[in-house]
This record gives sequence, structure tokens and C-alpha cells, in this order.
Amino acid sequence: MNPSLRKLVRKRAPNAKEIDAFVGASEFPLVDGSDITFVYRGSADSISLRCWISGFNAAQPFQRLQDTDLWALSIELPLGSRIEYKFELVTNGQRSLIVDPLNPVLAHDPFGANSVCQVTGYERPAWSLPDPGSRRGTVEEQTLDCKAFGESRTLQVYLPARFRRTRRYPLLIVHDGADYTRFADLITVLDNLIQSLEIPPMVVVMTQSPDRLKEYGGNDKHAAFIGDELLTYLSRNYPLIDEPRARGLMGASFGAVAALHAAWKNPGVFDCLLLQSGSFAFSDLGQHERGPVFDSVVRFMNEFREQPGQPAGRIYMNCGIYESLIYENRSLVPRLQQQGIEVLFEEARDAHNWENWRDRLRNGLTWLYPGPVWMVYE
Amino acid sequence: MPLRILYGPQRPVTNLRDIAANSELPPGTFAVISAGWQEDEAYTDELGQILGRPLQDLRLYNRADQVFADDPKLREAYRERQERLMELQRLYRGRLRQLMIAARQMQRSKAHADLIEPERRHAIEQLRALDRHHCNRVEEIHTNYANDINANQSSVLAEQVAAIVEQLADYETVVITGGNVVVLLNRLHLFGMAEHLQSKHIVAWSAGAMVLGSQVVLFHDRTSQGRRDPEIISPGIGLLAELVVFPDAKHRLKSRDPMRVGIISRRFAPACCVTLDSGTTLQFDGDRLRKATEARRLTRSNGLVRIRTA
Repeated sequence: MNPSLRKLVRKRAPNAKEIDAFVGASEFPLVDGSDITFVYRGSADSISLRCWISGFNAAQPFQRLQDTDLWALSIELPLGSRIEYKFELVTNGQRSLIVDPLNPVLAHDPFGANSVCQVTGYERPAWSLPDPGSRRGTVEEQTLDCKAFGESRTLQVYLPARFRRTRRYPLLIVHDGADYTRFADLITVLDNLIQSLEIPPMVVVMTQSPDRLKEYGGNDKHAAFIGDELLTYLSRNYPLIDEPRARGLMGASFGAVAALHAAWKNPGVFDCLLLQSGSFAFSDLGQHERGPVFDSVVRFMNEFREQPGQPAGRIYMNCGIYESLIYENRSLVPRLQQQGIEVLFEEARDAHNWENWRDRLRNGLTWLYPGPVWMVYE
Repeated sequence: MPLRILYGPQRPVTNLRDIAANSELPPGTFAVISAGWQEDEAYTDELGQILGRPLQDLRLYNRADQVFADDPKLREAYRERQERLMELQRLYRGRLRQLMIAARQMQRSKAHADLIEPERRHAIEQLRALDRHHCNRVEEIHTNYANDINANQSSVLAEQVAAIVEQLADYETVVITGGNVVVLLNRLHLFGMAEHLQSKHIVAWSAGAMVLGSQVVLFHDRTSQGRRDPEIISPGIGLLAELVVFPDAKHRLKSRDPMRVGIISRRFAPACCVTLDSGTTLQFDGDRLRKATEARRLTRSNGLVRIRTA
């Protein structure tokens, strides 16, 4: 338990004023190196910590301190970790999941917000923050009649600062692009990395599926859309470098499966893959245990692992070590390397969330698309 | 004696402004080589304001594009040359990496002095031998290419060279900007600029300063992928043959590591390795250093040492 909190409650139950003073002077959760103390103030029948760390007890119960309205739970997390969490309150038999009322740091995703615990040693990367010195690209919206799915699809197309039609640009197609923009600051990252010459000016196309669990699970229509329809459209309308080494696909979670599948189904088209926390579930023997939504993914991954071919020349992968998918990601790396594919695999003390993916974007993008920083001396 | 005035990056300190008050440079318009800015070559208005002089852009980047558009054979020969140079650079880099690892290991070794010193010297000599070998091979590719285009006698190229020479004749001072040093070098070599710049006063910064040496060394210790070993990319135009320039060394070079600095210094000796950070000035009369402000040289064992002039 945090020493200051222990001191507060050691001898007797502190009064409300003392608790007010303690809460006002502290940042929550209380971080002492790798010792983390979560604190809740309020009434409840029970409180538990919910964080999505594989191998960790799903619900960690808090202890009420003396006869106060303070509850606390201490756990240990390795230095440099970053986890997202919520509190589960049970009051009068009713359960509710809430963000930590004492912690202003939140992470957002399509399902809402989670509280964030940043252990000593974690720091949000500076290049992911808006930089007034970075020239800004523009994002234009395009609509494409998608024959594969028989409906229109909206694309967001990022054009780098000082975009010119007389130049040719590398291309990156991003699955769940709108989510990457909202939750992983993709546009800010692109602007900053291009400004610092760490990646070349590039065209980045953000796609968003209306039914990703269906379309991203090894779906041939999706692969045809990406490798044929979309690429043809983009090549006609934007000045792109017409070489596989300058074309890439990116995605996270199911989006990474979609990117890998699309590249596999379109061999020799995309040389670069950026795959984050890929939902690369497979089954060596018997049935998988990830639920029916993974059925098509497992079918694809089993087939892929059997005959990987060469979906790309270079693949950047990353996964949080607190994810249940870490095993699937780790085991895919040597399989890809055996095919002569250059693979850079990184692990982080984080889990399956957008800020983990954001924090790895620089390494992935600069490795796949090295910029001219090496050659530019301003 | 023509002047060579070198500066570091112009941010945050824009000391190019000193040129406006420099009475040693003849009055009148400066010629500008801003090919390192690539498509932004023509955007020289702000530069003119800083220098306090009218400017005439020699348009080397644009002229090269024109040559390639009008002479497909030359364009093809150039493209082939570039591919061969890139492939050669990859091969060199692979060998260089191993030799750098060995050189560092020798430096770190705690073996007895009489055992380790010859090994350290030999490790550096191997680096120097590889660099010499690489330079020779690069020269060979350049020579073959030059012979090819001579053989083809590209009238398009000849016309552009003649136009540049004619234009250059009107100006006594040439400004060479920073930017992409590889693109800048390629354009300088394409138009044979070394010969035409010999007699001119030169004002240059960053990449523009790098190309004046006899060899151009790329370096960056702080890329997102980590340290990259300094590597020779090409011969320079040789106006300051005994100089290897490291612009923005404060940010790009791990200069507090005396071992790292020492290896670089010994590797490129007898050339003097100098840093050109923002705020730095070096002024040469011909190839003789006359003035130095905030410049440092890389030494064999003492890290960076300030350059002082009499």
C-alpha cells in the first residue's frame, strides 16, 4: 500500500477533512515505482478492479479502510507498464462499471472510456502529441462504389503537407482508419513523422468497415476490395509510386487479420504490413476456444500457417504482453521469418488498446517507410 | 583567393544574416544552388531577404528534370547508375557494420595495452581500407556513367551545361543551400559543377557545406531505429578536400561518447572532421581556415574540441 495512505489510516480512521486533504494532494492511482494503489472514495457494497490483463485475476477486490468511505487495492505492475482499467461497483446488488473518479487520465475507444494507470517509466511519446512546428496534411473524403460489397464506401484520404501531383507518393491503407484517427492520433503522428523526415510524405487511406467482425475475418470479398477495386481507384486518382515496396496495409486486432489476409490474397502487391495486436487465433488441434466470432479468423489463420507464402517482404508486428493474443503473435513471427520475410516484432507492457497501438506507430512506420532524415541536412 | 563560408542549420540561429554585412564578398547578385530543396528549389525569396542580396537561382534540380524528360537514353543510364550505386551502398553497409562492431569491441577491450593497441589500430585500418575500396567502386560507377553519356553525347545535357556556365559567369558568389545532400550531389555531378565553382566565392550551409569536401559522410545516431554508422555516400566536389562536415552534430551525433568520436576522427583522417551546429561559422580563404565560431572538431581521444584560429 502507498506509504502516505498507510500513514493516513494506520492509527485511527481519518476524518472527512483529513481524507479531503489527502485526496486533494494526491494523484491517483498512487504510483510508487512498481507498487500501484488504486483508491475509491464513496459508498458501495463491494468494489473490484477490472483491467484487461491476461493472466491476471479478472476482478481484484478492494479493501475498505477502517470505517471510512475510502477503499484501496494494491497491486504490483512492472515498471514502464501502462494499463487501462475500470472499477466495478456493487451497490444494493446492482453492478456498474465506472471510470476511476479520482483519475483524470482517460483513454477512449469505440466503446467509451477507460481510466489509465501509467506506471513509473511510462511516458507518452512526444511525437504523438500535436506539434505546432509540424506542417499539417489534409484529409479529404472520397466515396467509392464498392462492387465487392455492393454498396458505397467512404474513405478518408490523408494527403501530406505540400502535396503535389507532380510527385509520386508511397501508399498506406489503414483498416479502421477512422478509429486510428480518433483514438490513436494517427493524423498527428503522420504530420510529425513527415515533418521530422522520419517517414517520407505519403498518401494514407483510411477505410472503415460497417461490419468489421464479418469483413475482417479472412473475407475474400474484402481482399478483392482492397487489392483490386480500392487500389485501382487510388492509382487512378492519386500520384502513387507504382511499386510493391511503396505499398502497405495496416490494421489492429481484427484489422491486422484483414491486412494480412488481403496481402496474402494479393501476393506481390503490398510489400509492407503493419500489424498491431493481430487477432491471429489458430488451432493446432481440435476446436479453438475464442468463441464463434473467431471462426472465420481461425479458418484463415490455420490455412495461412500451413501455407504462408509471401504476403509481404517486410512485416512490422507489435503486441502487448498483457494481451491474451501475445501467444498467437509470438508464434507467428518465426513462421513468417521461415518464409524469408523480414519481420520486426515488438512487445510492450500494455494491452489490447488504441494507445498501445499509437505508441508503436513511429517504430512501425519508420521501419516500413524510412524517411529521408538520413540524407537531409537542413 | 575565393572565400568559402560555411554555416550550420539555420534554425534556431539564422546566422546567414551575417552575410548581409560581410564586406569581403563582392557586391551584387548571388547565384543560388538550392537543388537540395528538390521541388521547392525555386522558393528563394526568404533566402534573399536573409542574405540581403538579389539572387539568381541556377535551377539545377529543374534543369536535371528537363534533361531526363528530353533525353530518355540519358535518363535510363542515370536510373541504372542510381540502382547500381544503391545496391553497392547496401553491400558496403553490410560490411561496414561488422567492421564497426569489431572496432568498438577493440576500443572497449580491457586487454593488456601491448596486446590491444595494435588490434585497435588494425581495426581502424580495416575501416579505412573498406572506405577507400568503396570510394573507388563508387568512382568506377561514376566514371562508367560519364563515359556512357559522353559516348552518347547528349546534346540536351550539353545545352543545359552551357546555359549554366553562361549564367554562372555573371556571378562571383554562389550560395549552396541545405537540404537533401544526395539529390544535391547528384545534380552537382550531373552538370560537372566542381570545375565551374572552383573560382567562385561559396556560401554554404549544412548539406551545401557537406558537398564541398572530398567525401560526403551520412550520419545519424538518433533515428527511431537507433544509431546508424556513419557511411561514405559519394565523393564531394572537393573544394575543401581536407574537410568532412557533420551538420547539426548536437542532435545527430552522440558526441559525448569519446570512443565513438575517436573512431570517426581516426577513420577519416587526415581529413579534419568538424561539427556545424546552428550558430557555427567557418570561413576559409581557399582551403585555409581563417575564422571559426562555435565550431568543433572530432579528436582521436578527447571527444569534441573547439576550433580556434589565430
